[in-house]
This record gives sequence, structure tokens and C-alpha cells, in this order.
Amino acid sequence: MSLQVFFLLVFGGAAVWFGIVVFLTHSMVRSALALLFSQTAIGAMFLVMQAEFLGVLQIMMMATEMSIMAIFMVMFMMDPGGLGEMDMKHQRKTSLAAGLVAFFGALAVAVFADWGPVATDIPDAGEQVRLLGFELLGRSMLIFESAGLTILTAMIAATAVAVQARERKPKP
Amino acid sequence: MSALFVAIFAPVLASFAVLLLRRHAGIIAVAGAGVAAVASAVLLAQAFSGAAATELILPGLPTYPLRLEASALTSALSMMVATVALFVLIFAVGYMKKDPEKPRFFATMLMFIAAMQMLVLSADWILLLAAWELIGVSSYLLIGFWHGKSGVAGSAMRAFIYTRSADLGLYIAAFLLIGVAGTSDISTSLATSGTAATLAGLLLLVAAMGKSAQVPLNDWLQRAMAGPTPVSALLHSATLVAAGAILLIRVAPMLPPSTLLVVGLVGGVTTVVTGLIALGEKDLKRLLAASTSSQYGLMLLAIGVGAPIVALLHLITHAAIKSGLFMGAGVFQHARGSTLMDDVAGAGRAHKRVFAGFVLAALALAGIPPLAGFFSKDAIIAATLYAPAGAGLLPLALAGTVLTGAYMARAMAQLWRGKGEAAAPSQALRWMGIGMAGPVVLAIILGAGFPALERLLGAEVATSALAAAMGLGAAGLGLVLGWFLPPAHLLGALLPWAQNGFAIAGGMDGLVARPVLALATALNRFETWLFNAVIKLGHASLRLGRASRISDEAGIDRAIFSFARRTVASGERARKLQSGLIHRQLAITIIATGILAAALFAAPLFY
Amino acid sequence: MSMELIVALSMGAALFGTGVYGALSQTNLVMIMMGIELILAAALVNLVAFWRYLHPDAMEAQMFLLIVMTVMAVEMAVGFGVAIARFRSRGSVEMEEAQELKG
Repeated sequence: MSLQVFFLLVFGGAAVWFGIVVFLTHSMVRSALALLFSQTAIGAMFLVMQAEFLGVLQIMMMATEMSIMAIFMVMFMMDPGGLGEMDMKHQRKTSLAAGLVAFFGALAVAVFADWGPVATDIPDAGEQVRLLGFELLGRSMLIFESAGLTILTAMIAATAVAVQARERKPKP
Repeated sequence: MSALFVAIFAPVLASFAVLLLRRHAGIIAVAGAGVAAVASAVLLAQAFSGAAATELILPGLPTYPLRLEASALTSALSMMVATVALFVLIFAVGYMKKDPEKPRFFATMLMFIAAMQMLVLSADWILLLAAWELIGVSSYLLIGFWHGKSGVAGSAMRAFIYTRSADLGLYIAAFLLIGVAGTSDISTSLATSGTAATLAGLLLLVAAMGKSAQVPLNDWLQRAMAGPTPVSALLHSATLVAAGAILLIRVAPMLPPSTLLVVGLVGGVTTVVTGLIALGEKDLKRLLAASTSSQYGLMLLAIGVGAPIVALLHLITHAAIKSGLFMGAGVFQHARGSTLMDDVAGAGRAHKRVFAGFVLAALALAGIPPLAGFFSKDAIIAATLYAPAGAGLLPLALAGTVLTGAYMARAMAQLWRGKGEAAAPSQALRWMGIGMAGPVVLAIILGAGFPALERLLGAEVATSALAAAMGLGAAGLGLVLGWFLPPAHLLGALLPWAQNGFAIAGGMDGLVARPVLALATALNRFETWLFNAVIKLGHASLRLGRASRISDEAGIDRAIFSFARRTVASGERARKLQSGLIHRQLAITIIATGILAAALFAAPLFY
Repeated sequence: MSMELIVALSMGAALFGTGVYGALSQTNLVMIMMGIELILAAALVNLVAFWRYLHPDAMEAQMFLLIVMTVMAVEMAVGFGVAIARFRSRGSVEMEEAQELKG
């Protein structure tokens, strides 16, 4: 068993375990934190798979996102601490079935499909970033730009939705 | 317009006028009959002057045109019909004075007169058949005129059935003759000979027996007395019953000797049998009716011995005599309210002038000179005497003469003996008197016109002193017997038979009339059943229609509406998908995506 | 057939299953969004695995990854904006009570 496999298993397992914890726990803050750890583990998996840039990106982004999510959690939840022990789930059987079907389906595809030969020649990290830069500002410039525009639009939209509607003041 | 046309259509026009105007029906009728009489006189004058026969051809069937012809024979008959009709209508004005339905009566009488004129003037079989039918229908309508009275409708029906069943003979004979001769012209078809002639002759004899009330078809005439007396005076003495004899007279040239013998026998038997019936009758009019049958029997007898012109002469005199007798009986009926012999006893004493006329006519019938009846009776007996087949028929003729005298004397005796108060002369009586006077006068003077008639008709009528003596003797014997002896003595054991009309095995009533009427009732029931069946069929199809509608509404409509309802219901159920709940929508999305992905992944395996 | 690839893909599959379960079973909007995050993360894992073990010199894969990450962030932003609006109007973000779009 190679090193990659080992670490993949470790970080992958952590990610999955924390993902499950997100939905098992009663406390909201703990859910948010568990998600944070899950995403971090995923970022670690990226690093294991020698996609350094993406791994770092993932860890940084997710950390910030999950913290904000925790704040929102506290804002909206009735029982953020989870001390009330309320059961907040519905359509359990359906969702369990759907989850299991999805898992086994994807697993079957992964195991039984013929993916072809595995590549061994990986450019190193600096080279990756350089190539990625060329890619971004070369061929994928349009995608990049439109992505940026989309983010801007989303920000404005989110703000507009979240802002409290004000009554018009009567004109003097 | 030719006199021929006027003679027939004047009564028709008068009939329409009576029906339309409904007032002065009697006067209009007399006027119409008068015009017709004038036209007939013109025809007779033309015939006397030796001019050729007037012809009137009307379009008929494609190869058989309708012909009217005024030859010597037919003009004489036409004159007779018109004259008697005129006097009877004058009589009827007085007789029907108090009757509320005068228009109907006079209209029907005029139609009858027109039909009779058509019959005597027709020169082809088809027109003759049509006229024969018309006079039968008019007779039925007139006999049943007072249909409100009980028994009248039955008598009219029976008369119609008897004569109708005999008319079959005429139809078959006419078609036979038309077929053999190839044309419907009567004079042409008289050239037929052989078996066709015999057959046709016998069939025509059957028809004549029916119309002229010969044995065994004589009962209807007595039943027909249920009608008003003018009807009896016109139809059942001079015209309708004459139709049979007229038919035989016209076809006499065609009949072979065998047929003539049968004709003579039928006539002879009838004379005697009906004479006996007349003797035993309890009703004056029925006596006169039986007498009519008897006299026509004499005419058939004359035809049978080969002397049709003699029969014609007797027909003419008998018309005048009998109508006069009937009109007299009508006066007595008016006075006494009935014609039963017991009721009219002594009526003669009360109306002496009418009785005088009655006596003159009765004596003429019996055959007393110088009245007309003597000459015609004498001619018949002479013809029978000198005919080859006359040996067997002479006794019958003489017996007939005796009986004639006997029953006429009996009638006169009944009218004279008994109480009678003189009645006050009334308007009705005056009319009736005038009407009766005409025929009576004719009965007296017609004998003088015989030589002229014989010249006209181109026949030699033999007379012999022996025949005259025999005739007078028989008549005198009869008169004396009838006056002095009551019928019971005269008839003896035959009285119940005579009063029953010599009916054998139920008579014509039981053999013909009742079965026919029973058949008619059965057919009526069948037809009612059929009608009901058709109605039920209609109901059934209506029910079928209703069932189909119900099945359409309940079945098809319900199916369609339930289909629509179920679609809406399934829409309601599908609505539940749109719960608005995010998690459910999400679940559906994920499941659908999974299915899509599976399909996509599985596709390469199959394609 | 390389072991690493299969392991990575299985991890991705597990994360995907967990995410689906979470998205469908939670009543709270924020929790549902966490489930969706997990699903997207699973997709990311798969993408990286494919890039690393099959096409390492194709930078378009990394591009794709960046876009997915962008989508994650944007979706979260807009989602929370909606959650705030909902919270203001109703006082809770429980999805059980959100039946206004019921048809």
C-alpha cells in the first residue's frame, strides 16, 4: 500500500466521519464546526493528491465560510446549543435510502469502470501554478471573467435580498 | 249540348244544388227531374222520327272508350225512368214534408236517377258496370235513410250484401265478353257464341236474379221496404229492380236456347213462389214488394221463351202500375202511420180518390182490359203459348196471373173493409195526389201506345184470342178468390211457409248474409288487433329509443364524465407533489437526477 | 487499475451519500445548505482525483475546480441572504412551515 493510499484513507475517513457528525449532533455550533473539520480534511486530501494550490485554497475558504455559517446558525436556530435534545429530522427513510443508493451507485461506477492507465508524470507545485496562471489568463479568460461577474452579481443580489425593506417617507 | 248529356247531368246538377242550397230541396229536385224528362222526351222523339242513334263517346281506358248511346231501346227506357222519377219526386215533396233531412233525401234520389239514366243509356260494359255499382250504392243509402230506426240499418246492409254477391256474376260475364270480343262495346260483344255465350249468359242471369229479386235472392226486396215509400215507388218497382231485366233484354240476342230455358224456369218459379208469399204477407208494402218479384219473374219468363220485346213492354207498364200502387200505399201510410195490413184496414174508405187510383192500378196489374196491364200480360201469355219451350212454362205463367189477381184483390179488400173517417185534405196530400195521378193515368192509357212502341222497337208481338181468353179467365179467378177468401183458406198448409218467405235451410239470410257479416266482424277484430299491434310496435320502438337514450346518457355519458372526473382526480393527486415543502422537492429532484444518471450510464451497454 | 484512484473515488462517493442524506433529512435551511456543501465537496474530490490520476497535465481540470469552488461560495452567499429575508418575515427558517408555494 503506497503512502498516498494510506493518507487518502486517513483524511478521507476523517472527512466522511465529520460529515456524518454534522447531522448527528444536536448542537448547531458543533455541526458547523464538524463541517469545518470535514472540509479541512478534504483540503488535506487535495494536498495528498499533489494539488497544492487547490488544497490551500480549499482550507482557507472553508475556514472562513464555516465560521460565518456558525454565526448564522446562532442567529437563526431556536436551540443553538442543542441542549433541548429535539429531533429535527423528517422523511428519514427516504433520505436514508437516497443517500445509500447514491453512495453505492457512485461506488459501483468507481470500482467497475475502466478508467484507463494511471498517469505518473506530475508537474511540481510551482510549475502547476504557473501553468494554471497561463490557463486562467489564456484560454479560460472568458470563464474567469464571467465567474468574476457572477460573484459580483451574487454579492449585490444577496445584499439586496438581505436588506430590510424600508418604507418610503412621505414627500414633504 | 246533346239531349243525352242533359238527361244524365241535369239530375247531377240538381243534386249538387240541393246539397249546396239546402232550401227548397223538393222544388229543385222536381225541376232537375223535369229537365231530365224533357231531354229523354227529345231522345225518344228522335228515335221515333227514325234518325240514327245518337252517340256520345267519352275517353275511358286506353283501348276501351266509354260509350253512351240513345237507340230506340235505350231511349224508350230512358223516357220510362225519367217519367216515373218525375212523378215520384212530386209525390216525395208531399210525403217528406215533415222530414228534417230533406236535402239528403232529394240529393241521393237525384244521384240515383242520374246513375239509372247512365245505366240505360250506356253502350259499353265498363260504363254499365260503373252505373250498376252506383245504383246499388244509392239503393243502400236510400233504404237506410231512416237509419235511426231499429232494424233499418240491418235491412239496408242485407239488401246490399245480397245484390252485391250477385253482382259478381255481372263482373265475370262482362270481363269474359270483353275478353272474347276484344272490345267493351255491348252491341259488338253480342256477336259472341258458343260456350262463352252460355257461360256469360248464365252469369248475367245470376246478376239479374240479384238485382231483380228473383228466387232465391228475393228476400232483400221485402226487407228493403224499411225505407221511405218514395224510395220503394221509384227504386223497388220501376228502376233498380228493372236493371236486371234490362240487362237480360239487351243481351237476349246472344243467349243460346239452353240458357234461355234456364232464364224462363227461374222466372216461372219466381212468379209462383213470390206470388204465394205476397198472398200470405201481413204488410201492405211487403205484399207489393213480393208482387214486384213476381212480375219480374213473368218478364224473365217472357225472355226465356224468346220474346224480349214483350218483356220490355211489360216492364214499362209495370213501372207505371207499381209506382202508382206504392204511392197509394204511401198515402195510406201517411194517414195511418204504418203499413201493416191490420193498421191500414179501412184506409181506402177514408181516402176515396186515392183508393180509386189504387184500384185502377191494381186492376191493370191483374190484367183487366182496357188497362195497359192487359195488353202486356196478353202478349206474355201469347208468347208462351206459341213458343217451342212454352209447354212447361205456360202453367207457371197462368198460375202467376191467378196469384196476381188474388193478392191484389186481397189488398183492395183489406183497404176497403173496416172503419175509416175521411181525412182533411192537406198540402202534403195534394202533392202526393198529383204524384200518384201521373203513373195511374199512364197505367190506363199506355195500352194505346203499344203499336207505336212495337214499331219503334222493330218487333212483332203476337196476339191471340186464346191467350187473351186464358189471361182474362185467370185474372178474374184470381180477383174473385182474393176478394172473398182470406189467405189462410187460399194457402192452407202453405201459409207458414209463405209467411216465412219459403226460406230453406235458413234462406239467404242464413246462407249468405250472416256468414258474410260474421266474416266482416272477424276481420274487423283482426284489423283492430293489427292496429293495436302496430301501436304496440310503435311503443316498443319508443321504449327502445328511450332505452338507447338512457344507455347513451347513463353508459356513454357516464363513462365520459367519469373519465373526465378521474382525470381531474388524478390531477388532484398529482397536485400533492407540489407541496411547497423544500425537502420534498429536493428529494424528488435527487431521485430524478439519479434515474437520469443511471439511464445515461446504462446507455452505452445497449447502444 | 490504480488503488489510489479507486480509494479517492470511494471517499468522494461516501461524502456524496452523506451530503444527500443530510440535504433530505434536515428541517432547517442552514442544515440543508450544509448538506449541499458536502455534495459539492464530494464533487471536488472526484475532480481532483481524476485530474491527478488520469490527466495531470490538463490544467482545465483545475479551472473547473476553481469554478466549482466559486459556485459553492456564491450559493452560500445568496442562500444566507434568502435565509435572512425569510427569518425577518416569519421568525424562523424551518422548512416544515414553508408551504406558501403549495400548488
